[in-house]
Amino acid sequence: MRGEIVAFCCERSAYPAADLAGKGKLCYPDNLRVIRIPCAGRVDAIHILKAFEKGAAAVLVLGCEDGACHHITGNIRARERVRYCDMLLKEVGLDGGRVGMFNVAPNETHKFVRIVNEMNEKIKESGETK
Amino acid sequence: MVLKNTDVLVIGAGIAGIASALGLADAGLKVYLVEKEAAVGGYAASLCCKATDVCSGCSVCVVPEKIKQAVTHPQISLLTNSTVQRVGGEVGNFCVEITQKPQYIDTERCVACGLCAEVCPAEPKAVYLSSAEAIPFSYVLDERLCLRFKGESRKLCGESCPTKAIDFERKPRGQELNVGAIILATGFDIFDAREKGSLGYGRYPNVLTGLDLERMFNHEGYLKLSTNGKEPKNIAFIQCVGSRDEGHGYCSQVCCKYAMRLAHLIKYQSPDTQVTIFYIDLQTAGKGFAQFYQEYRESIRFIRGVPVEVSPASSDDLEVRFEDISQGRVCREIFDLVVLSVGISPRKDSWDLARILGINLADHGFFDTKEILNSNGTNVEGVFLAGTCQGPKDIPDSIAHGMAAASKAMQALTVRGR
Amino acid sequence: MEANTGVFICDCGRSMNNIDFSRVREKVAKIPHVTCVNLSSNLCLEEGKEQMTSCIRDKNIDRVVVAACSPEFKEHVFQQALENAGLNGHLLSVANIREQCAWAHEGDVTEKALELIRMAVNRTRLLQPVEEKELSVNKGVLVVGGGFSALNSAIQLSQLGLPTTLLERESTLGGRIRELENMYGFKTGPMIEAAEGAKNIDILTSAEVLEVEGKIGNFMVRIRKGAEEISRSFGAIVFATGYETEVTDQDFQLKPGVNIISQERLAQMLQASSPKGRPQTVGFIFDFYDENSRFPTLATLSNALAIKQKWGSEVYVLCRDVKVDSEGADQLYREAREHGVVFSKFEEKPRISADDGRVKVEAKDVFLGEDMTLICDLVVAEERILPPAGTKDLSFLLSIRTDSQGFYQDENVHLYPVASERKGIFFIGGCRGDLDFQRALADVSSVVMNVYGLLSSGKVVVEAEKVKVDPQKCVACLTCIRVCPHSAIQLARTEGEKEVAEISDLACDACGVCAAICPAKAIKFEGYSDEQILAQIEALGAP
Repeated sequence: MRGEIVAFCCERSAYPAADLAGKGKLCYPDNLRVIRIPCAGRVDAIHILKAFEKGAAAVLVLGCEDGACHHITGNIRARERVRYCDMLLKEVGLDGGRVGMFNVAPNETHKFVRIVNEMNEKIKESGETK
Repeated sequence: MVLKNTDVLVIGAGIAGIASALGLADAGLKVYLVEKEAAVGGYAASLCCKATDVCSGCSVCVVPEKIKQAVTHPQISLLTNSTVQRVGGEVGNFCVEITQKPQYIDTERCVACGLCAEVCPAEPKAVYLSSAEAIPFSYVLDERLCLRFKGESRKLCGESCPTKAIDFERKPRGQELNVGAIILATGFDIFDAREKGSLGYGRYPNVLTGLDLERMFNHEGYLKLSTNGKEPKNIAFIQCVGSRDEGHGYCSQVCCKYAMRLAHLIKYQSPDTQVTIFYIDLQTAGKGFAQFYQEYRESIRFIRGVPVEVSPASSDDLEVRFEDISQGRVCREIFDLVVLSVGISPRKDSWDLARILGINLADHGFFDTKEILNSNGTNVEGVFLAGTCQGPKDIPDSIAHGMAAASKAMQALTVRGR
Repeated sequence: MEANTGVFICDCGRSMNNIDFSRVREKVAKIPHVTCVNLSSNLCLEEGKEQMTSCIRDKNIDRVVVAACSPEFKEHVFQQALENAGLNGHLLSVANIREQCAWAHEGDVTEKALELIRMAVNRTRLLQPVEEKELSVNKGVLVVGGGFSALNSAIQLSQLGLPTTLLERESTLGGRIRELENMYGFKTGPMIEAAEGAKNIDILTSAEVLEVEGKIGNFMVRIRKGAEEISRSFGAIVFATGYETEVTDQDFQLKPGVNIISQERLAQMLQASSPKGRPQTVGFIFDFYDENSRFPTLATLSNALAIKQKWGSEVYVLCRDVKVDSEGADQLYREAREHGVVFSKFEEKPRISADDGRVKVEAKDVFLGEDMTLICDLVVAEERILPPAGTKDLSFLLSIRTDSQGFYQDENVHLYPVASERKGIFFIGGCRGDLDFQRALADVSSVVMNVYGLLSSGKVVVEAEKVKVDPQKCVACLTCIRVCPHSAIQLARTEGEKEVAEISDLACDACGVCAAICPAKAIKFEGYSDEQILAQIEALGAP
């Protein structure tokens, strides 16, 4: 278990926000692994669970701000699936909050970095999982 | 349908110019997009997202996407650092002279590695990224700061550049373009708040403009006072600074909404901060705003009555003197931050473009439209207006106006061919 | 599956000091399926691109990974290099080792860079080519409505050579244009004549839309005209169905009648050459019930001035805020005051009652700080702008959302100004909500540009079958059809007469929501299939 965070980043919002963090030399921990997707609504429970199976300490799903999804309801669907996964993970013994849905705009760099940092804090607090 | 020259020149690559360019390019026309600055996007590209836990409808996030589409579109030729010097001819056959500032750093070759900035001996650095979000994503060389223009003979940046993108021998480049129609999308200037001396902008460090706030959110992520590094706890927004007054007899259309959205964002980030908005008439109409208005009324303190004076109080605080109209008396209150909601003003260099293109300016200094039924047309056939250079607009309205200008240009070129 | 993967690493002019590129190169060469590793310093420039193209050709590479700057920056350049080598541009993965790696972290990031490359290699070997295809589209446009926005867009579209059908519910064209005539002094007759006279505008009055099937480029619309039903096909549909107004009598306990009238009635009275007994005192009320009062403001200001000029009455305007964020509105407000129109602002709604044949209005004036009583001969009441009748039904029919106030379109900023979540279906003018003149005009011209851009060549280039339903696996549960935000999926019959879901390449916007939700996993989204996403996750933690 290496404490990686897998982040599914929507290519219209979170992915450019992550790029902008780098361009602006805003640093965050290097355990982040970004997977680029066309819409947060593409993320399925199996993708999230597989990440945990492969040893991820946390999973982030990042889409557009609520009400600004390019595909109207994609980020809402993603939120539901994340909620479902969180529930499943609790059932298998992980503490809650290891998977989270977040909303960012393409220029909300600071928010992106804050989300990553806060999830890292959460992992530290809970200790590592099996 | 035989058409004459159907290429179009769009002057100005702010959001309206970009919308015009995309509209035409998607219809298969060739577009020259000429931008005066090194980066595209205009003012809109420097604004911040004002979402709280839901999107607030400010439309700022639309801008980076449209920029990306425009700079990668095969039909659009982007010329940055360029201005229009002369225009001759007529619709269907305009001859335009463009001058590009010397491209000491070639934006096509620059990969933004930053090695030049590392070795630059000037203080402050003469090579830099104009901002992290600047597109084209390229370093720029500032002649005013560069030591080579003050006698320095070394070329440390040029030597360190891995793609040989830096060349001090480059000269201004003239180009002649032949186009069928021209769209003017040169945007606006924000009102210079220093003109209202009684409000203290430029003299008191804790008096800022709405634009300053947007940039601070973008660059820091939250508000902090320059005087003590802390978050402000008691903020005043003053509306109609440079709008609805002598010399600006119009509403700037964007300020009430940006003030309310910023105020609400501040309250969301910092619920115990008090925010007061001083206004004349609150502009709340338009799509996407009504659903939030009730929330804004509850979280923000509104006072009808625009302040006349901001003066220094103890430490770096500010005293605002205003007439509280609903109470019918003059009051004074202390705030730690005063934000001036500055309006949209016509650009001073509009005079040059008006002369070059042979078009008129209207009463308030914006470009004049031909008739009420056509807010894109000018007195010159084949020359069209897009965006705030014609009058104040917010981002969605600028996009619509830009698309409308493209449509008018398209129609002029098509009808021409018959 | 076997693949001949080439990995092209760029150190961006040797500027990324926190990645050990020689170690990366060494390790990457050992990854299974990687047959060629190249290190460059300027992969995105002509020299680097050419080297990449030659390498792909010479080494028979059939899948490519580029480890360099963000795909947002230079992906299109690398795709060009693939295409120059005869390889489909989609057979590429970009590992972002710059903006999201070297630039984002302090300290050595070699291990992260390696992992990002391994993730990209795993994805890339599963990629399949996606080809572009040209599809024919119907150039015809359906404009629904017959008022200002509808007429103007039809005229402009027809002038650009697109055959247009104008569909109006009433028996005559014009809508609410007559109200605008007074405000800006132009004549609507010529506008209607232009539409009627245009050779490629087909006008259908007393007609309504019953059903819309199909996709952009080919919408099959069933129309009821009088007693018959007609079916027509269109490439795009523009809804310009206008708005309705409602006098807000409930709030004020007003009874519209002789003394309490609407703006429209006032406009008629002003047009009459000699009204029966000019009112001495006229009061206007607006902006209490609804924030969306741009048009009511403009109508009030313009009519107030007209009354001053024509009747010389005393005119009072009672409102909360004057909505001046329209072009020319502030000027009109000033002009009105200069001509003696008195504006009174209140925070609360005024109390209205009858007073001996006249109307009494009572409220606390904000500026005076006192209660004010006004006796008017005529009161022009506040009117709310409402979506036109049938909007709810139409929105259900079209699977298109309305906004929080009931107007088209959804308040999603990416749809502004005139688009909807369905490609090829647009909304303009009053049916979108509170409008003013210039904004409606911008809508009209804007949609004309949009539609022309889509249809003018008669062809649209699409990415063929990027998201595809496997007819063997599909059980026609209809979930994807219900869930697709762009209404891009419909039921179709296969050769074997089985009913399955079919995704339209024209209407699909490649979001992948269907692929995620399909219970049978029958939808393959090339580039973002389950296998291709899981492959990236599988690469985590490998040595």
